[in-house]
Amino acid sequence: MAADDDTSGWQLTESDPGVFTELLKTLGVPLVVDDLYSLDAATLTEFQPLHALIFLFKWVSTGSAEPSVGGQYDPDFPGFFAHQVVNNACATLAVMNAIANIPGLQMGAQLSDLFSFTAGMDPQTSGMAITSSDWLREAHNALSPPSAISLDGLDLPKSTEDAYHFIVYIPYAGSLYELDGLKQAPVSHGAYSEAGEGWVAKAREVIEARIGTYPPGSLEFSLLAVHDDPLPRLQEQLTQLQSAGAEASELMVRLANENSKRERWAFENSLRRHNYLGFIHALLLSMAKAGTLDGAKEGAKKALQERIERRKKGEAMDED
Amino acid sequence: MAETRIAFKAGRAFRRGSTNFVDPDPTKGAILLQNGEDGLLHFIWKNRSTDDAEEDLILFPGDATFQKVEQSAWGRTYVLKFSSSNQRHFFWMQDADSRRDEEFVGNVNRLLADPTIVPIWYSEGYNPHNQASGSTSAPAASTSAAAASQPSGTAQATPEELARIHSILSSLGTNNGAGSSLAQSLQPPQLDISLTDVLTPANLRPLFASRPDLVQALFLHLPPDLPTPPTVETLERVVQSPQFRAAVRNLDTALRTGLLGDLVRTLGLPAEAGTGVEPFLRALQDQARREGEGEGSGSGSGDRMETD
Repeated sequence: MAADDDTSGWQLTESDPGVFTELLKTLGVPLVVDDLYSLDAATLTEFQPLHALIFLFKWVSTGSAEPSVGGQYDPDFPGFFAHQVVNNACATLAVMNAIANIPGLQMGAQLSDLFSFTAGMDPQTSGMAITSSDWLREAHNALSPPSAISLDGLDLPKSTEDAYHFIVYIPYAGSLYELDGLKQAPVSHGAYSEAGEGWVAKAREVIEARIGTYPPGSLEFSLLAVHDDPLPRLQEQLTQLQSAGAEASELMVRLANENSKRERWAFENSLRRHNYLGFIHALLLSMAKAGTLDGAKEGAKKALQERIERRKKGEAMDED
Repeated sequence: MAETRIAFKAGRAFRRGSTNFVDPDPTKGAILLQNGEDGLLHFIWKNRSTDDAEEDLILFPGDATFQKVEQSAWGRTYVLKFSSSNQRHFFWMQDADSRRDEEFVGNVNRLLADPTIVPIWYSEGYNPHNQASGSTSAPAASTSAAAASQPSGTAQATPEELARIHSILSSLGTNNGAGSSLAQSLQPPQLDISLTDVLTPANLRPLFASRPDLVQALFLHLPPDLPTPPTVETLERVVQSPQFRAAVRNLDTALRTGLLGDLVRTLGLPAEAGTGVEPFLRALQDQARREGEGEGSGSGSGDRMETD
């Protein structure tokens, strides 16, 4: 794992649906990513057609070479599978492992070239190929804070380094696969039934079993759904309903929600890319000129005292 | 001048012959970690009776560790070990109160690993005078008596106290009354305020509300592709965002390293402003005053009147 400390120029990004969606857009892929708060049928239906689930959690290394519960390594997996060779690239790598295996997916020329280039490569080499791609790294880094205010060279404790681990669940050739860039090979969880919910039912079973293997409350995780962009479909439905003179208020609400989510993503992504040094300076200078900085400093002193008091109480309790 | 980073009461202990027994020496002393004028980290043992530095070891980052001697039945014996040699230096804690041993040791090891870090102190309620029995530390009220009993006239305060006073003075930035405010200054180690407590939405909201004319100027410092109009509402949204909060936290952490001299110069601030949160805010207030005067006298922004 010597490569763990080597960022190879990949910066840490937030694991946020808005970030993933923006990345997909840059890659010319017409899919969006949403947080899933539940695996129940009603929630999942809303995101159909659903192409992949990304399960991410704070990773505690087990050092285990065993495939996960209920699965079997499939070294002959014919699809795309890349190992995670650079820690900070893990989110983007998970996205690659997911979208490379979606049949007939529309994507930008650079990305489809990259996938053709890696065809037939072993997982380690694929991982290297992916992470040495300059344009992909740029697309990934575009959503991390600029480095002018980054604290490189100050030897600060690296608090954000404790890694999130990403595991992708996808349907492939009639079976449910689990792609984990830290495992030697894709893990097959066997065939799923096309009836009813299809692969998603199988994925729910497998993910719930996995969560069950951790002591209750010990696992911090989220689930992301990689799915078709619902906007064009919603708009089309709306047009149809309206031209038929039918009731469309429910649809309008969904559209409005979807649009306000996009606005929020755009806002947050714009803030993510920004260097705030000038803004902070301007704010403090304005406070000083308006005469409110002294009061704010006093308030900060009080807050400091309160924190110290709280910590003292906490300590006293520890001693008991 | 050498800068004392940590100081606490400790005596030396010596190995009995070539055995593995270590005997504490009763001489009252103190361990000081100083950033020397030579730019190197010095581990100093000072005799508190004579005020002489009897040991002065230069330590390179990551070479030495200060560890508890687990075999010690008493439990307050420590050893300074080096990874580059077999040298061992033994010490024993002399503060009457053992509760802070761990805290001192933690900070010693953090400094040994990285001399640029800022020591972390657990609490502010510590007053050596309440606990130190038979030590040379003396309440301010009786400094004359203490001075009389000391061979050196400068020994009113223990090195531990001096280090505290130093950190207090540098964090408050006041040089007046160092002697007279001794008792007062014994309350902390004073911690620096946090920039995150200054730039709170609660502090900024009234500013935005009272000065809507600031919106345009502040927007010059925000991303041009922000999908919302330049309004007070957007500013409020920005200052509440996790991204802005994280940036403030980062700057706060970076300022605590005291190494941001180059960065703050890009803001037109003197290098001293990069040595901590308080110096940074003080420099900003000076800058605000200067700019305020400049605006008042109607001189151009680039024109500065020199009066020498």
